[in-house]
Amino acid sequence: MMKLSKLLLYFTAVLAILIVLFPIYILFLIAFTPVKYTIDSVYPILYPAGFTLANLVTAVESFGLEGPTIRSIETATLVGLIAIGIGLPAAYGLNRLPRNTSGILTAMLFLANMLPAIVVAIPISAEFISFHLYGSVVGLALAQELVVLPLTIFILQGALSSIPRDLEYQARIDGAGLLKTIYTVLAPLAKAGIVAAFLLSWMISWDEFTFAVILNPANPTLPIVIYINLFRGNILASSAFALILTIPVIILTAALQKYLKGEYLTAGMGG
Amino acid sequence: MKWQEKYTTALFILPAVAYIVYFSFFPAASAVFGSFQTPVSHFVLTNYLGLLNFGLPYAIMNTIVITAGALALQFGLAFVVALILRTQFKGKGIFSTIFLIPFGIATVVAAFSFTNIFATTGGYANSLLRVLGLHTMNWFSNWWLDMFTVILSDSWKNTPIVTLILLAGMSTIPEDIYHAASVDGAGAFRRFLYITLPNLRNYIAIALIIRGVSEFNIFALPLILLGYRPVLLTTLTYQFYSTTASVYYSYASATILLCFILVFFVVTMKLRSNE
Repeated sequence: MMKLSKLLLYFTAVLAILIVLFPIYILFLIAFTPVKYTIDSVYPILYPAGFTLANLVTAVESFGLEGPTIRSIETATLVGLIAIGIGLPAAYGLNRLPRNTSGILTAMLFLANMLPAIVVAIPISAEFISFHLYGSVVGLALAQELVVLPLTIFILQGALSSIPRDLEYQARIDGAGLLKTIYTVLAPLAKAGIVAAFLLSWMISWDEFTFAVILNPANPTLPIVIYINLFRGNILASSAFALILTIPVIILTAALQKYLKGEYLTAGMGG
Repeated sequence: MKWQEKYTTALFILPAVAYIVYFSFFPAASAVFGSFQTPVSHFVLTNYLGLLNFGLPYAIMNTIVITAGALALQFGLAFVVALILRTQFKGKGIFSTIFLIPFGIATVVAAFSFTNIFATTGGYANSLLRVLGLHTMNWFSNWWLDMFTVILSDSWKNTPIVTLILLAGMSTIPEDIYHAASVDGAGAFRRFLYITLPNLRNYIAIALIIRGVSEFNIFALPLILLGYRPVLLTTLTYQFYSTTASVYYSYASATILLCFILVFFVVTMKLRSNE
């Protein structure tokens, strides 16, 4: 017979799973069930009473999914690339500097991560208007970089510090310069960490709202299109956009599970 | 390290530092500076005084209530789930994978689902209540419910990250202590109170900072679920940015938000170091 404590544990676990899955279930339900069972009824039916693709087809035809989707992909990819581009040398440098210097720089990164997006975004928007970056993919990517850069650097620091220093010395003795050593010797060895950092940056930018709504309201990315359509009462259109936004993220979260650890998410402040 | 090498290393960090200063510290400083300006005068409190007439005290109160409520709920739930994940049981892998999903779901998508769940007509929460034979209700009919729906929706998305941080902390506590305590006759509850909690102090502080700062900044969720009423510091800032010609009021409310975050950060760090 099962012990009472075990039974309680399973009960809590199942309850937690149901609560976690319910909102995601509702998203799929609204997207794939005829409207008369969902948003058009006073008490929508809780199970899938029918199946249709008409909702999505209408949304695609009348709202044009490609524009925002492409912009979102471009922005997120650019954010990931910049993060690795600036983050990798910075992570290497931080690992090599004396402890107190790197401590100050780490605190600075952490402080930058703490400054509210909404506080920073409004002055940036004024700046961007004068540089013709307002409303552009590059401008948005540069702003969103703020959210991901500290996290990226901490993940890369972890990945680089697990590589034996001897390998690096070996390359230097063989005549490779420091930059060449980083990109041809260290980077391939830290591949898993780099990929994880890139994908995490990609994912955070893909979901980002505050900078996107302030800096790019006229050329919206997916999260902004969802907001605009919800605001106007186009629930079906926003459900279609929400599906596009969600599916890659569910796959990425599952793939990145190994890296979604408390140690990384505390951004190097643990212990 | 040779001195050349040392400077080259510093050079590697320069792009990241320059970037942070230019895109983060500089704009934040100019927002604070701008909050004391008007089109006609400098170093005045006009914007702050003006905001008093536009619900600033409510915005501050609502922001604090949501932050405190969300932190309490997320930490409570995260402890339960972390303790579950510390035990061995069949299906643990599937449980932890599913439990992490909300971490990756966009806030806007969460807001989409919860808008449809809590909608007064055509809402799934009311459907559920009806199936269970209970009274249906208007989920945005008073201030308490407004706060409750935002706190609940936010906790759905953010409990996983708190859980992950607590789990990381729990894995640093040696098993021996628990064993010794249970030999001495301490029950599960007392072990949690006297071993787990004190040993997690650092991790709790970090999770508090990470989540607390984000709670003060909570924006998309209340904007979509509540609109501008009840107003928060973030939505107040955005309202003035997007609807009026002058941005000075939004600078003022952004500066107040920044002050709250800095105070919260300092207080939490103090608690952490008071050992």
